[in-house]
Amino acid sequence: MPSSTVLAQLRKIVGSEALLDRPEDLMLYEYDAGVRKCTPAAVVFPRNTDHVAKIMELAASTGFPIVARGAGTGLSGGAIAPEGGVVIAFARMNRILEVDAANMRAVVQPGVVNQQLSENVAHLGLYFAPDPSSQKACTIGGNVAENSGGPHTLAYGVTVNHVTGLTVVMPSGEVVHFGGKTAESNGYDLTGFLVGSEGTVGIVTEITVRLLRRPERVATLLGIFETIDHGAKTVSAITAAGITPAALEMLDGWTLRAVEAACHAGYPLDAGAVLLIELEGLAEQVEEQAEAVRVVCLEQKAREVRRAKDENERALLWKGRKNAFAALGRLAPSYYSQDGVVPRTKIPAVLQFIESVSQKYGLRIGNIFHAGDGNLHPLILFDPRDPHQLEMVQAAGAEILERCVEMGGSITGEHGVGLEKRNLMPLLFTNDDLDVMLSLRNAFNAAGVLNPGKLFPTTRTCREVSGPSTNPVLQAEGM
Amino acid sequence: MTATSVSLDIARDLRSICGPANVAERPVGGIYVCPNSAEEVAAALAFANQHHLTVAPAGGSTERTAAELRTDIVLHTGRLTEIEHYDHGDLTVGVGAGITIAQLGQMVDADRLMFAGDPPVPERCTVGGLLATAAHGPMRHGYGGVRDYCIGVRFVTGDARRAKGGGRVVKNVAGYDLMKLLIGSYGTLAVITSASFKLFPAPRQTKTFLAEFATAKDALQFRDRILRSPLSPICLELVSPGARKLMRPEMTDDAWVICVRAAGSDAVLARYRQELGSAITRELEADAEQRMWRAIQNFGCSEEALAANDACAPDLVCLSVWPRDVQDVIDTLLKQSALTGADVSLIGRVGGGLLLVRVAGKEPGAAGIQKLMIALERVFGDKIVLKLRGAVNPWPTPPTNLASMRAIKQALDPNNTLRGREIF
Repeated sequence: MPSSTVLAQLRKIVGSEALLDRPEDLMLYEYDAGVRKCTPAAVVFPRNTDHVAKIMELAASTGFPIVARGAGTGLSGGAIAPEGGVVIAFARMNRILEVDAANMRAVVQPGVVNQQLSENVAHLGLYFAPDPSSQKACTIGGNVAENSGGPHTLAYGVTVNHVTGLTVVMPSGEVVHFGGKTAESNGYDLTGFLVGSEGTVGIVTEITVRLLRRPERVATLLGIFETIDHGAKTVSAITAAGITPAALEMLDGWTLRAVEAACHAGYPLDAGAVLLIELEGLAEQVEEQAEAVRVVCLEQKAREVRRAKDENERALLWKGRKNAFAALGRLAPSYYSQDGVVPRTKIPAVLQFIESVSQKYGLRIGNIFHAGDGNLHPLILFDPRDPHQLEMVQAAGAEILERCVEMGGSITGEHGVGLEKRNLMPLLFTNDDLDVMLSLRNAFNAAGVLNPGKLFPTTRTCREVSGPSTNPVLQAEGM
Repeated sequence: MTATSVSLDIARDLRSICGPANVAERPVGGIYVCPNSAEEVAAALAFANQHHLTVAPAGGSTERTAAELRTDIVLHTGRLTEIEHYDHGDLTVGVGAGITIAQLGQMVDADRLMFAGDPPVPERCTVGGLLATAAHGPMRHGYGGVRDYCIGVRFVTGDARRAKGGGRVVKNVAGYDLMKLLIGSYGTLAVITSASFKLFPAPRQTKTFLAEFATAKDALQFRDRILRSPLSPICLELVSPGARKLMRPEMTDDAWVICVRAAGSDAVLARYRQELGSAITRELEADAEQRMWRAIQNFGCSEEALAANDACAPDLVCLSVWPRDVQDVIDTLLKQSALTGADVSLIGRVGGGLLLVRVAGKEPGAAGIQKLMIALERVFGDKIVLKLRGAVNPWPTPPTNLASMRAIKQALDPNNTLRGREIF
């Protein structure tokens, strides 16, 4: 825990107006969009790479933990501080440093909000492809740390596919550059390795991203199904027809009714499930694919296939999808969102399993997810004031993720492991796999100063150098 | 221990790991071993670490011939050919590192799917080799590099730990992205034993449009027009006059050619024709189209080298530059070649700034290449990445983050066992 001397040194680096340490201020930084809470000792707001390097040098010499934080929209507890220490908040490093349209690149600071970048380059006919549902608030630094996805990653890939260069402050305080604007890097692909390392290897202070050209035509279809099973089977039927939509999202009937009540997006209230299907590209190609998708949906017993008539209708359908988590918040005090992945042909089976988990625990679980790449987001509703419910919710979530892994999938498709799923890592990885990852972390962050308690499990054999958590909340949870 | 001092005892011990038929002494010194499984790879590497021996992984030897490898042990992946999973409904496949790109392509073609990697000499280039070198072909433009569609990797680290990264599903962010770390690391960190990939629906129909120009500048202006248009071709390649003559000796004019490969229905192809307009001088389809793209894929490989199973174009310089700098890079190359009398020919995935350059003429080989590289670095500095296809050290310019690379090497291969390439 940083001493008062260290806090004074931090104030000297960033300025006293750029450090928070009063309990009432710190409360805002004790949570993200997950379910855990941990209070940091202080929050600092650097303005440049040099500030971050100096903070890091101080952390290295005095040994307090550092947790980088963007907008705190993450769902895995990645941006909270279970070991206390200092949160580096990037709210003031939020400048777009360069837009280089000729090379289809932009250079941004980590605090730039995802959607702002796309808005900023829209007049050039360009955009930044990763589009997490929280894109109005989440930052590109956070996207890089978690390797975030979004609906349109089905066609365009996750964040790592759109980052070509990074400026990184290493745990020693050294500033290094990985990659740049070129497609390939000189030496190992350290840019690719850093993306998704969840703030455990270095702190990113500048990001070079790839921009894409906006498509000529976009068709947004809504396939309406009587049952969730018919909708689920349609997902792999579309792929089998040789079509890769830009996005292919699914909402179950219960969820879409909740969303409709909140957003008035135009979803049918009596359906068992809907598929939101987006096709993009050359006009001729989009029209052919839209017709092919319509035929596949009807063959798979869709009741109806609607197409958004204009940009307003399209925006409304997406508003419903992107605000769905918030809409479900109207039905219960809190929700627990999972992020499992299964091969897309296993979606019907895994949805049946989720229903059985819902019944077993007596918990309401809504399904709204990226069906095209098998990335599930079961939303388990609960009341956090009831400790018993939280336990049941976590047990139900773990059961669902275990089944995803049994089906050949993963415990996280885009939210990251963080604090939330670190003890589920052994479901996917052997001790040797984790040892290799840990040896890479320790190559840079042996003291565990950067984002301690994240990503690596504590329940196997206390292999993490920094040891088991000292946080009382986590200890109480057996972590 | 040097290659020549490897004793018969060592060969005997390796035979006990991989079977007598799969270990041989190399005429140039050292031992050749061909394990059958990841377990055998790990055992061979553990043995090498224990006895302080150096190891070079080898696949189809399309970049460097096996004879050039001067390590105590050459570990050939040719028997790692297991199909771990093939889920055509999910568009994913997982195969052993020793499967060739052509074999993989044929397997998935039966289900009208496509593996997007198209490196040189696909009949010999292995999955492991493709990953280790991050080699690319013309489809790099439309489908991205192998880093974009490799979803999982199994490997044995230099210090003999068997591990994996990623998995079998197309979206997965659990744990560090070890695929990115190993792709393009030239086998200096680990021996890849198998990998999983995302597949793509095979195009039902393609057509290639050729546009010829008097200068590179005109050709690149045409490229810019395509990049600003709504078109999204699967290949967009520039071919220099010299490269064209190499591929088709009967072509004697000095045209710079832009090759645009489009996939889609008749209506989509008609739209390409309309957008590309009067610049189009030829259209290719079927066998003629396949032949042309195969020639581009194998650019710089002589018929003799292909016939003799030698390394293909080991002296090729692979450049990654800012797309808007392609014109200036070509100008610099041409100016420099005029000064030195070198004969420079090039092709490239110019939409993304990737060029492959061959140096021949009065000063071919290392000396000619060296002069060109110096000229390019002087002008472009860190705006250019140079890779030498068959060189002992593929990155002639020391990376600025060499210390980070060393730290990773130390974490995965602390005894510096994996020495197929010498980066440090």
